[in-house]
Amino acid sequence: MIHNSDMTLEVQGLSVSIHTRKGTTKPVNDVSLRIPKGKIIGIVGESGCGKSMTARACMGLLKPPVKIESGRILLAGRDLVGLPESDMCAVRGSEISMIFQEPMTGLNPVMKVGRQVDEAVRVHRHIPASKARQETIRMFEAVGIPEPEARYNSYPHELSGGLRQRVMIAMAMICRPALLIADEPTTALDVTVEAQILRLMKELNKAGTSILLISHNLGVIAQVCDYVYVMYAGQILEEAEVCALFDSPLHPYTRGLLESVNSLRREEPVLETIAGSVPDFLHLPQGCSFSPRCGQCLERCASGEPPLFEPEPGHKVRCHLYDKDTSRI
Amino acid sequence: MRQSFLRRLAESVVILIGVALLIFIMLRVVPGNPIEIMMGEHANQSTVDRMTAELGLDKPIYVQFFRYITGALRGDFGTSYSLGKPVSSLMRSAFGNTLKLSVSAAVFAWVIGILCGVLSAVRAGGPADHIFMGFSLMGVSMPVFMTAMVLQFFFGYYLHWLPISGSGSWRNFILPAIALGWNSAGAISRLTRSTLLDVLQEDYIETARAKGLTETTVVLFHALRNTMLPVVTMMAIQFSGMLSGAVITETVFSINGIGRLSVLAISGRDIPLLQGTVLFSTAVVILGNLISDSLYSVLDPRIRREA
Amino acid sequence: MNRDKLLQLMRENKVAVLSALVILLFVLAAVFAPFLTPYDPKEMDILHRLSGPDAAHLLGTDEGGRDILTRMLYGARVSLLAGVLPTLMSMLLGTALGLLSGFAGGVVDEIIMRIADVMLAFPSTLLAMLIVYTIGGGLTGVFLTLALVNWAGVARVVRAETLRLRGSVFVTAARSIGVPQTRIALRHILPGCIPTMIVLFTLGVPSAILTESSLSFLGLGIQPPATSWGLMINQGRQYLYTAPWCSFAPCVAIMLIVLAFNFLGDGLRDALDPHLESK
Repeated sequence: MIHNSDMTLEVQGLSVSIHTRKGTTKPVNDVSLRIPKGKIIGIVGESGCGKSMTARACMGLLKPPVKIESGRILLAGRDLVGLPESDMCAVRGSEISMIFQEPMTGLNPVMKVGRQVDEAVRVHRHIPASKARQETIRMFEAVGIPEPEARYNSYPHELSGGLRQRVMIAMAMICRPALLIADEPTTALDVTVEAQILRLMKELNKAGTSILLISHNLGVIAQVCDYVYVMYAGQILEEAEVCALFDSPLHPYTRGLLESVNSLRREEPVLETIAGSVPDFLHLPQGCSFSPRCGQCLERCASGEPPLFEPEPGHKVRCHLYDKDTSRI
Repeated sequence: MRQSFLRRLAESVVILIGVALLIFIMLRVVPGNPIEIMMGEHANQSTVDRMTAELGLDKPIYVQFFRYITGALRGDFGTSYSLGKPVSSLMRSAFGNTLKLSVSAAVFAWVIGILCGVLSAVRAGGPADHIFMGFSLMGVSMPVFMTAMVLQFFFGYYLHWLPISGSGSWRNFILPAIALGWNSAGAISRLTRSTLLDVLQEDYIETARAKGLTETTVVLFHALRNTMLPVVTMMAIQFSGMLSGAVITETVFSINGIGRLSVLAISGRDIPLLQGTVLFSTAVVILGNLISDSLYSVLDPRIRREA
Repeated sequence: MNRDKLLQLMRENKVAVLSALVILLFVLAAVFAPFLTPYDPKEMDILHRLSGPDAAHLLGTDEGGRDILTRMLYGARVSLLAGVLPTLMSMLLGTALGLLSGFAGGVVDEIIMRIADVMLAFPSTLLAMLIVYTIGGGLTGVFLTLALVNWAGVARVVRAETLRLRGSVFVTAARSIGVPQTRIALRHILPGCIPTMIVLFTLGVPSAILTESSLSFLGLGIQPPATSWGLMINQGRQYLYTAPWCSFAPCVAIMLIVLAFNFLGDGLRDALDPHLESK
């Protein structure tokens, strides 16, 4: 495939496997993502659907027995899969960086937060400590940390959850990476703080950083993303522009997800939920992985795995219901 | 933090007084008149009486205890019955040897222990891990006298590399240091390994990796400092344990230290000397515990600033 | 715990099972010592003194010409008993005091715990030496000493466990329906401490064995003509260079039994998952 220069990151056919004594599982199965420059892309799904694993694979942070089985991860056209560890270190934190769900435990408790941030710029740009310190303080200001000079010398336990997450973002942004991966960045935060952090991420995006936002929260996705991937049991079930996805969801799973949010909003007496729970990766169902929980399940859903159909331009869905070749239904 | 330190200090003083009292009582209930033991069976009765009065042993027991405590505070522990010298000067010269032994044993234990622990943790499950942990397990399970005798037999007698006993030169201390440190090294490497493995699972380690640090930097600068919190505590306690007198090691290698002095005191039924060495040793251990507690709060900013 | 679960645990923790077998083997050897050897542990044979291992004397003979293997079998009786009996005694004492301390609280708690603090402040070998000096050596003296050395640690753990259980829902429930205090202590809290106590016991035995052997090694413990492994090592030490087997055989025995008990204790801790304070 020819590299598209408008893409910050392109994931092609990524599969991740875990080998254990009990068997081999594939928590990420043939996932393809495209993150265009300057956009915010969302991945939404229940916990355990493989979205964090996908992010970690992009960062090269998978540790045995978890490994990339196949696929390519193209960062500005360069394949990161199989890159030696030393080269990957140069990419991490510099070209792609990541922030995690837990701002409480994500910072080293025995190091001053300022040191933790300027460490990133010192390893990648080899600048003297005093200059790194200046940059860190400037970055603290940019991400909205009050009294940045004083905060430089704080320990993590002295900061609130929101401030810690700002420190994490400062750490991730200080080398001005092309891509920021945010794995549930607001899940552990209060709603008001969540709104502030999301606003900050939009500002950073406007300043030129592409963002991959991972969340189980549809509201968060709807607020900031341009384009959304819906993930289930290691696969992409649906992908679309954010408006298209929320206005006309195609996949029964996506509809179920949206229903469960909307029914809350409408205060209907009956809470619409998706029956059953996320399948165990060791015992994935035959055919479509969602079929056991699907209300519109067809006969062949249980036997053949559906491919991605594109019923509308730019709106893809992995469901037999959208097979145009009606003779097969 | 200062408050909690002062509270711990006060507690330590109370414990130390309790220790002194316990030693004092235990040694007073031993059957037999200490003066007769000291003078031999054929001593003249008037001499025995005179000595008893001179040493204050005719006074009520609480007066004796008070005198003992006030004396001990001034550094006067009385005179050894069997060796005829002041207990304090005997202990001072013995402590020099114990100090040399403890420092060398501690250095051995810490270097080997931390090194093996870290290497095992970063290669967990690999051959190096199994070898190091096998050694550590041997370290914590082998009785000190066994390690000591194996070393004596092999390096001293069979290979003639190092002296078997004595405390004349630094070469005398190599085998005892290994024998004494072997146990501690095993304990330290096991603790280092398990703590480091836990720390490496922490979220902030993933953050450090995501920053683009190499694995070596992550382990040495992010993980190790957190790992060292419990390890340093253990190190301080071990060190004070060694300083309190390594009874077995000093006996096997004939090193005239505090521990051997205690054994001498027991075999000579020498109450002032035994009282002095045991009180000293226990004080060292209590001090060690106090220091290890304080070290923890110095190293961990969460405790340092909160209190 | 049902049988299937036990079997599964045994399958998962082979080291602990192997250790239990090693311990059983030692115990059987000690019990059936007279049937396992043709020699008398006390009978001298001056013609064959300090002879190395051979077909007649599998582990050689000591300075009196006595068969080392035989003496080890008989010595195992003392050494193993020194591990088990005093540990049981200190468990009883420690549990009673710990339970009392945790339950009574107030002044009683304060006094018991301060005494425990004082006991725990001593270096353990030195404390054992001091007690054995006070109450005298020999079999009874050593056993009493070992019991007195170890109770404080047990008391502290049992107290912590008692406090934990006292705050638990089922105790509050029992109290709210008017169950008397002593009944709560004995029928609700004590059973809850049992997993912890099993592990404490398993780990206490090797430490008592080591302390006994250290005392005997220093000549302060078991006195001849009785024998224990520690005493054998002490006696053989003079011949370390001419007849190393005299000391090394009992050394290895001590190491094996200590290792076995430690492995078993670790395995039990994993299996029973008691709430042990990590000190």
